[in-house]
Amino acid sequence: MYSDEIAGFLKKHGIKTGDHIRVEYSGVTIEGELMPKTEVGSPDTLTVKLKSGYNVGVAFEGATVTKIAESEGPVAFPTAKLGEDKGLPKVSLIITGGTIVNKIDYKTGGVHPVITPEELLYDVPELSKIARISIRNPFSMASEDISYREWGVIANEVASELNGGARGAVVAMGTDTMHYASAALGFMLQGLNAPVVVTGAQRSSDRGSSDAFMNLICSAHIAAKSDIAEVGICMHRSSSDDECQFIRGTKARKMHSTRRDAFRPVNDSAIAYVKADGRIRYGSQHRKMSGKSKASAMTKFESKVALVTAYPNSDPELIDFYVRRGYRGIIIEGTGMGHVPVLPSNVDRSWMDYIAQAIKKGVVVGMTTQTLYGRVNTNVYSNLRKISELGVVYCEDMLPETAYVKLGWLLGNYSPKKAGEMLNKNIVGEISQRTELGEFLV
Amino acid sequence: MQDEEYYRSIGFMCGLELHQRLAVPRKLFCDCPTNIIPASGRSTASITRRQRAIAGELGTVDVSAGFEAQRGRAFIYNVAEGRSCLVEIDEEPPHRINAEAMGTVLAFAKALSMRIVDEIQPMRKGVVDGSDPSAFQRTAMVAFDGHIIVDGNRVDIPSIFLEEESCRAEATHGREITYNVEMLGVPLVEIDTSPYIRTPKEAKDIALYIGTMMRISGMVQRGIGSVRQDVNVSIRGGARVEIKGLQEIEYLDAYIDTEVKRQQELLKIRDELVARKASVGKATDLTSALKGTKVGLISSHAGKGGKALGFRLAGFSGMLGREVAPRRRLGTEISDYAKSAGVGGLIHSDEDLKGYGFSDGDIDRISKKLSLKDGDSFIIIAGGAESSRKAAGFAIERAKYALVGVPPETRGVIGDGTGTTRFLRPLPGGSRMYPETDARPIAVTKKMLSDAESSAPDIKAEEQKLVGQLKDRSLAWRVMLSPRLQTYTSIVQSAKDPTFVAHVLLQKLTELRRAGFSVDGIGDGRLTELFEAYDNGKITKQAVDEILKVLSKRDQDVSSVIEQNKLERISGIPLKELVDEARKKTDNKDQIKKEIMSKHRLNVDGSELNSYLV
Repeated sequence: MYSDEIAGFLKKHGIKTGDHIRVEYSGVTIEGELMPKTEVGSPDTLTVKLKSGYNVGVAFEGATVTKIAESEGPVAFPTAKLGEDKGLPKVSLIITGGTIVNKIDYKTGGVHPVITPEELLYDVPELSKIARISIRNPFSMASEDISYREWGVIANEVASELNGGARGAVVAMGTDTMHYASAALGFMLQGLNAPVVVTGAQRSSDRGSSDAFMNLICSAHIAAKSDIAEVGICMHRSSSDDECQFIRGTKARKMHSTRRDAFRPVNDSAIAYVKADGRIRYGSQHRKMSGKSKASAMTKFESKVALVTAYPNSDPELIDFYVRRGYRGIIIEGTGMGHVPVLPSNVDRSWMDYIAQAIKKGVVVGMTTQTLYGRVNTNVYSNLRKISELGVVYCEDMLPETAYVKLGWLLGNYSPKKAGEMLNKNIVGEISQRTELGEFLV
Repeated sequence: MQDEEYYRSIGFMCGLELHQRLAVPRKLFCDCPTNIIPASGRSTASITRRQRAIAGELGTVDVSAGFEAQRGRAFIYNVAEGRSCLVEIDEEPPHRINAEAMGTVLAFAKALSMRIVDEIQPMRKGVVDGSDPSAFQRTAMVAFDGHIIVDGNRVDIPSIFLEEESCRAEATHGREITYNVEMLGVPLVEIDTSPYIRTPKEAKDIALYIGTMMRISGMVQRGIGSVRQDVNVSIRGGARVEIKGLQEIEYLDAYIDTEVKRQQELLKIRDELVARKASVGKATDLTSALKGTKVGLISSHAGKGGKALGFRLAGFSGMLGREVAPRRRLGTEISDYAKSAGVGGLIHSDEDLKGYGFSDGDIDRISKKLSLKDGDSFIIIAGGAESSRKAAGFAIERAKYALVGVPPETRGVIGDGTGTTRFLRPLPGGSRMYPETDARPIAVTKKMLSDAESSAPDIKAEEQKLVGQLKDRSLAWRVMLSPRLQTYTSIVQSAKDPTFVAHVLLQKLTELRRAGFSVDGIGDGRLTELFEAYDNGKITKQAVDEILKVLSKRDQDVSSVIEQNKLERISGIPLKELVDEARKKTDNKDQIKKEIMSKHRLNVDGSELNSYLV
């Protein structure tokens, strides 16, 4: 933001962002368009876009600033005509925000969400050859802000689109919490008989190198053609732009903060691999589309569920904090096969009594592993036996985030007893009984 | 070459963009090393990317970006461990900008009397040829409104930029280009001149002057590829053409002059074509008409679903073969457009068609299909169905431009010493540029300005220093303009005889290079050792040559070269003994000298020997 002094001056002289201005200072004159000030720039310099396209910051103090022409106004994003090939399947694209659907205003660097199919098709014309795309935009939010409420909104949108004739759905969203959302959709969508493809981008679509384009194209292929009746994430398989992979929504995890192939299957292999030209190769077993069924969404969710990590020196009073706040479920990310400190030298730091108290008060406590890969176990060590004997539900090979989402969903829809029983029983592929050799670090 | 008056009369316009890699240890936006010897790294990974044209500020895809996207190319990036990280391959946002590189550019800005901006804003400049995996180059304007005086004339320097080096292209196979990313991100300074350079020679003088200013700072990289000039040239009635990536300043004026002549020739062709009311036809499928032809270029594609497309060039007869630059014809110019779509080339009717293997029947069928008349020409393009279609489209566009004049283009140099260039892509219509939102703007502080002031390279001061050392103004200037200035400066810190050092660096090394010795690989450290050995009386001047020859073949320390090749100087008592020994045979001084030198030419200093013969 500009300083009060600059903002006041601009207001007084009727100068707006985008106006052409002349700045004269210490013997030099520059002309260009006044740019808005981003939050990272110095508030005391004017940012001017020169004719060459470069932005420069010039000191306001001591400068003479005059307006020479009005702004040409904002640039309209170009659009493409929507194809209406009746022979193509209908695919619903549900846009919720995130890098994948953001377009940049090349003048200011400001970011705007794409909300019309025509805008999107201009950038990714291939989509109109794959399916008849209809776009829904229930909200636009950064993924770090998305909560169970929005998961419910998306689930309802998907169900209603599928029931309204869409062959499949693509959900475009921010990637940071995408694997929580894909797990939630997996549990919430009942009677699912269509591919539901969650996708996003790690590089914004203002650059020609963005992963958004191939991710959208591959997602549309899965939604339009595959026989998969599950929710999954479809993003780059490697750093190359040659193939995407479709990973079961409850078995996917963002494993890198920035790479385009950040999403990996954990304790699972990808359901399918898809090339940009539409070739699909199936990998692991999956639920297939069959017959006709109506989709519905069970969107109730208990938000008073916590995900906590056990680590050396950790303070178990954290458990007590949640219990006192009325939490009804806790998923622990334990160490190794599902440990928490049992007999530390500092006896106050033993988790045992706290967990016992929580369970006694009716809180469902589930155990997962912070190694992410592998399965928890209740027998190998005596401490594991002690912890499980408190009544902690050991969640097999389920990811901690998936277990967290699942417990919230179970407690929203079932009694605590039933929720506790269902927590470590497979519903939509979140738990597998077998782990194959090749399912590690892939 | 013509004089200033001539260039003014043809409406000559010329501006330079000088690019120079900075000698800082780390890249501009990440912590990867910059001391990379090109092509030395083994690639440990290879990734394939595709890029697409994005609508720019005006809501349309730039002509140049659109052209590249239409080519539908795949870019393969080879990545070597230890040389590049995720930042270069567009898998991680940039780190903090390299402050040392920034300081260097600020110092150059001061040396060019420029006005430094108060806040430097990193920008993204669209790159369309795949040379950056992110599809943009990070660049920042650091200062503006500068000037220099060259040969008494003022030359304006409107801008200086700090930016990232791009990838090095390694190979092109059809629509696949392979790049090596190791140099990507090395800090680069770009200095632009105004477009009012008056003659090709002046362009060369300016480039030399600015290059010297940067080299005397000691803050720039040396060696192949570390410096490049882009030259913009146009004449009245022609068009702006950018010649990219000229590395050898020696030929700068030749390239400019060749471009001037090329534009003049294209204008003459245009006038003649217009007078003839020439026109360009549509692409026509000749695949079935040429079925069974003996022309290898066509039949080799026939079996694989390929196509042969042709188009009529009404009234073009003889024009495709007209030379526009040494060994470049109008047909070559059109062919380069076709090649950019991934076909091998084209065949045109000003060529020896029989030589290609066309039968009379082939030619009859082509004439019929294309409705050719007297005075017409035609072009045939064969290749895969998709690439031949694209290639024909590009070629037709270029052929039509022959009726307009000079197409605005970006051209690349052909390294054949003739000053010729070839088409790379259409000239971008103004760069697509927007803020690099992943990097913070840099507020220029008083401290940064005073540091820049005190470290600004000063050509006058350097000249005085060199004249003081060499006692010879002309030699001083030769050293200052030489690419070996930095080597000279580092060696004379310890050397006793600067004139001998200058002589070896300027003359001896050049002679040896011409004689086929690869002397450019000899490091400064070795040269310093060599001059130390000379200063300490361990070797003679003659031995210096020999040692350089050995070092050009294999890197090893100078003392072992001396030992292994028996190059130790014979001096003092041992030399006197040699003289005494020789005196036993003869008293003739010349005879003695001849006798000793014939055996010990490399080991004995002639003047020392003379002193014993008196």
